[in-house]
Amino acid sequence: MNTLKLLSAFLKVNVQMSLAYRADTVVNILLNIMWLGWELLSLGIIFSNTETIGGWGFGELIALLGVFRLVHTLMIALIWPNTEKFNQSIRDGSMDYTLLQPVNSMFLVTFSRITVWRVWDLILASILIVVGVNLAGDTTTPLSILTFILLTVSGAVVIYSLWIVLIALTFWFTKFDNNVTILQALLDAGRYPVTVYPVWLRILVTFIIPIAVATTVPLQGLRGELGLSRVLMFIAIGGASFLVASQVWKRGLKQYSGASS
Amino acid sequence: MLKIFRRLWQVNWAEQWQYRANLIMYLLYWLVSPIIYLAVWTSIAQSKGSVNGLTANDFVTYYMTLLIVDQITSNIVIHTFAYKVQDGSLSGELVRPIHPMLTNALVNNIAFKGLTIIGFIPVWIVLFFLYQPDFSNVTFTGILLAIPAMILGFFVGFLLSAAISALAFWTTRVYSIHEFYFALILLFSGQFVPLTLMPKLIQDVAQYLPFQLLIYYPIQLILGKLSSTQIVQGYVSGLIWLVIAIVLFNWMWRHGVKRYSAVGA
Repeated sequence: MNTLKLLSAFLKVNVQMSLAYRADTVVNILLNIMWLGWELLSLGIIFSNTETIGGWGFGELIALLGVFRLVHTLMIALIWPNTEKFNQSIRDGSMDYTLLQPVNSMFLVTFSRITVWRVWDLILASILIVVGVNLAGDTTTPLSILTFILLTVSGAVVIYSLWIVLIALTFWFTKFDNNVTILQALLDAGRYPVTVYPVWLRILVTFIIPIAVATTVPLQGLRGELGLSRVLMFIAIGGASFLVASQVWKRGLKQYSGASS
Repeated sequence: MLKIFRRLWQVNWAEQWQYRANLIMYLLYWLVSPIIYLAVWTSIAQSKGSVNGLTANDFVTYYMTLLIVDQITSNIVIHTFAYKVQDGSLSGELVRPIHPMLTNALVNNIAFKGLTIIGFIPVWIVLFFLYQPDFSNVTFTGILLAIPAMILGFFVGFLLSAAISALAFWTTRVYSIHEFYFALILLFSGQFVPLTLMPKLIQDVAQYLPFQLLIYYPIQLILGKLSSTQIVQGYVSGLIWLVIAIVLFNWMWRHGVKRYSAVGA
């Protein structure tokens, strides 16, 4: 398949790029472990003062931390580097060359940069999820695990789609190079279950910048808190947001006039 | 000298004003964590009645005061200075007869602060009406005592950050080192929770570190939670750390500039 071939080519290029900075990779992984230590310590501090937070126990928050780290990795390994490259290409007109290539431009723009070493983060996140779920002692069935995976994927698609819309806005407003800061800023809200937030913040991170859809919701699915209709609804939202995003992208492309030509 | 500062102020203010959209984003970025911590801890305090003697209102007043104190004591030196060393644009500043860090970078920070405060005041007022905190513990003397403490905290933090930014003369990994420094601040300053809720070990170590001067000490002063001996202790440790920070920064700067090779010039 063409897409897969391209993806593996991108991966190869990115592995080569990061191999040029081996020492940096080691430093980054060490820092990453440091932050994990901090995150666990902060959860420890919270739970030395209480048994539950927003109805969730310690194990559940560990699992939530895992899901949060998945979204965080998506953000930092894919969204951030590609946005930087994209903004640059709008400013200097090198977007022209991307458009000339006979591949879907949205795919090209969103996957050409991948911070490869972050794969380690995905493994870490999975471990956190497994450990957390076991600590929580929730009864997980194959069905609830399937629900969890489907909701995680659709949550990630929602974030991805929002990102597409945000960067596509740059076609209209060329100076809008802060396009993903709002996503980054609110990301931290995904560390805790949205049920502890005041209503206005909950609305903000559920409907407007839907971080919660990718963090709290999958875990609610795993805990069996969501009925079948809610689960289907969230999956449908994932699909719909992707369709909307690709439409916005197409319209945006028509606005593009090329900075160099 | 005053004329120089006034001119630098005009230049830096104009420069920051150009980036006012960025400032709003920065403000948003910087607001989110305290608001999340506030939500988490008030929800715990409400369900338990109190946490370690702290009520929901104590947490609201703590984090709302933190927003003000952090706004005053924090700095952005690392973001504005390190790349000047890396891309060589520091050269132009080094030939001027004034210290690049202690004049230009300092004024730039204050201009940045001035502009973010303008954006921050309405946000704080909105939060005030949302949470309706009871600030009845705050006294006039508390605020009066806190103002020099915050200025002291700003200078200690500024000089320490400047010393770390000066590591850019030696290594390109200065941002990673700064990330580690940032984690220390998070751990020992009281940014995450009032220090009394931290593990005993961290509280003890924090006594000897400068980081609580940035957040915890001024907040406690404003909220009127310190005894007079604690107030004196805080000021003494602040002055000691100011001297340490000045010496450290000077040493780093003198040795660092000698290694500067002006890339791209």
